[in-house]
Amino acid sequence: MRERVLVAMSGGVDSSVAAALLVTQGYDVVGATMKLFCHGEDLPDRPCCSLDSVNDARRICEQLGVPHYVLNLESAFGRDVVQDFVAEYARGRTPIPCVRCNTFTKFRDLLRKADAIDATWIATGHYAQVRDGVLHRGLDPAKDQSYFLWGIERSVLSRMLLPVGGQTKAETRAVAHELGLELIAEKAESQDICFVPDGDHTKIIARELGADTWSLRPGPFVRRDGTVFGTHDGFARYTVGQRKGLPGGFREPMFVVEIQPDTGAVVIGPRQELLGRGVIAREVNWLVAPPRVGDEVEVQIRHHAAPARGTLVRVDNGEVEIALESAVSAISPGQSLVLYDGSRVLGGGVIERARRELPILAA
Amino acid sequence: MPDPVYLDHAATTPVRSEVLEAMQPFFGARFGNPSSVHRWGREARTALDEAHERLARCIGASADEVVFTSCGTEADNLALLGVWRSRRGAGRKAVVTTPIEHKAVLAASHQIEREGGEERLLKMSRDGVVDDASFDALVSEDVAVCSIMWVNNEIGVIQPIHELAQRARAHGVVFHTDAVQAFGKVAVDARTTPFDVLSLSGHKIGAPKGIGALYIRRGTPIEPLMFGGSQDRGRRPGTENVAMAVGLARAAELAAAEREHEWNLLAAMRDRLEAALLEKIPDAVIHGRGAPRAPHILSISVPGTDSESLIMALDLRGIACSAGSACQSGSTSPSHVLSAIGVPADLASSAIRMSLGCMNGDACITRVCDVFPMLVDKARRLAAV
Repeated sequence: MRERVLVAMSGGVDSSVAAALLVTQGYDVVGATMKLFCHGEDLPDRPCCSLDSVNDARRICEQLGVPHYVLNLESAFGRDVVQDFVAEYARGRTPIPCVRCNTFTKFRDLLRKADAIDATWIATGHYAQVRDGVLHRGLDPAKDQSYFLWGIERSVLSRMLLPVGGQTKAETRAVAHELGLELIAEKAESQDICFVPDGDHTKIIARELGADTWSLRPGPFVRRDGTVFGTHDGFARYTVGQRKGLPGGFREPMFVVEIQPDTGAVVIGPRQELLGRGVIAREVNWLVAPPRVGDEVEVQIRHHAAPARGTLVRVDNGEVEIALESAVSAISPGQSLVLYDGSRVLGGGVIERARRELPILAA
Repeated sequence: MPDPVYLDHAATTPVRSEVLEAMQPFFGARFGNPSSVHRWGREARTALDEAHERLARCIGASADEVVFTSCGTEADNLALLGVWRSRRGAGRKAVVTTPIEHKAVLAASHQIEREGGEERLLKMSRDGVVDDASFDALVSEDVAVCSIMWVNNEIGVIQPIHELAQRARAHGVVFHTDAVQAFGKVAVDARTTPFDVLSLSGHKIGAPKGIGALYIRRGTPIEPLMFGGSQDRGRRPGTENVAMAVGLARAAELAAAEREHEWNLLAAMRDRLEAALLEKIPDAVIHGRGAPRAPHILSISVPGTDSESLIMALDLRGIACSAGSACQSGSTSPSHVLSAIGVPADLASSAIRMSLGCMNGDACITRVCDVFPMLVDKARRLAAV
């Protein structure tokens, strides 16, 4: 009997090719598109529930001769992803909703649907690889999405198939053409956060918390010494490392170096004030046997950032602290700290804060 | 895999061979426009007039009281908006309807509110029947139109349309009923039941999708929704869909002739299915069970399951059912009908609608009685982990 696999399909080229490859490999493929949010009738150009994407996924499944379902995960996604997104911005942080979507929505809630239909496997179009129960970076460094997958439960790895993770994006498109998936073969990459309709995350914050919520109210731009340099229009519009939208008139380029949600201040400073020698992350999850204090690791503090070398100086209560071998710029609270060993993903956490001084290894 | 089982006749039915045959000439040689004066036009016009007469006869009406529409939704919209707009000037600004209507009626009612009217929603009993006291309280001299569906599309409950229509009309209220699920199951006769306006849909009774009809009793005030030519006395302008009108008339004749036989057949299957499922799943809940129900719809909730997963699992075993109501994207969302009759959210989220019809026989029922409880067991085991 062929093994059944539930494929999460967005209607894009990656997940469509993933499904197609699994069909050619002989799996009993079932396609599913998750309905995660609804803009209602306010956005006629972008129909309710990403209708076009659903339709594309359904048509690809028809072409592949496999069933397709639309799964309504709206309320769970709203709770686990959208509400956290808004709460994090309110705390002056810059969240990555895709991480929580992978952790909670795709590889937990969708996995339950897989159980319900006797699917042994769950597959997505992520550019990452699973080998012998271990998560690895995607083969294509330009596309590698392993950074977003650190939060999934370790046991899920043994049920995951990532069929496009071992190829480049160009190869994926070529496969789409080869298999006659012309409908989606040249579809543009989605860059936005799926539930932020026009790239303006403050609209979601305003919708959830009200337009006059604290994080969208005017507040001061300050230097580290407390000197005020004008007014900003809501700290939720800023992220650590940002250069755009800051007051001018300084001799050197200025950046957001910290957000202080308690006072509503956005702290600005020159490039060297962005440098961190240590980083603390919480909500830590391990995809391998947990490493120990003193272990050397590679860390990545942002998608596409070059890995930096560091040493684990503290591992406790779901938190880790890393001492960085050399200074790393713009460590943004809310982003992910992902730990690697070469291509292996060891685990990760949500960045709580950076340390400007090198943390000392506890004896 | 065994033969697939289609248990979604309330969603749509296949076109009957008799209907297809009746429509065929109008896709070919008899293609004329019924408004044309020449022989092609006359041929089409004759067929259209006959379709009016034949459909009218099926519901005890006169030919001029029947308007063909593009679907049941259009018929419902024409009924509510058309009647309300023509009466709003006369001190009748309210519309009364139930919270368990099809979206076509509910959305038209919301539109009335946007146009300055007042929407009043009736209370329902836990079995899905209109609450008498609520009806008396809401239906009064300031109401333009009252719309109550005859047979509910999710739970199959039959409303006492005869009494409700009588009581509404006593207040000078125009009474509309959406009979899309009722026609072919209950007796629909304008001579004996005092409804003023009634909606029908073709594809629930073996005619194609894309054709519906509205019965409008003579003398009922109604405005058109669209403006154009004088087709159908100006009530529904646009070149008539002759082939489909003929198809609907043919399907209606067949459904009316077979109605009692069909009722008995479907009721026997439904009763067997219901009894078997309740025996194997004693805590299952059948919605609307305490009220009179049409024989083709069975709405069942099994605590501790979710309908989305069950429907997928059933489909993968070749059994087609549906949940509450389908969103445009095809995903399931909580049923407004079940929440309106007080079904708790977790129970409503497990509701499965099985709707029987021409594609079912005893073998289908046997198979569902085997597979459904087995899938329920599995779903509950997973939920317990």
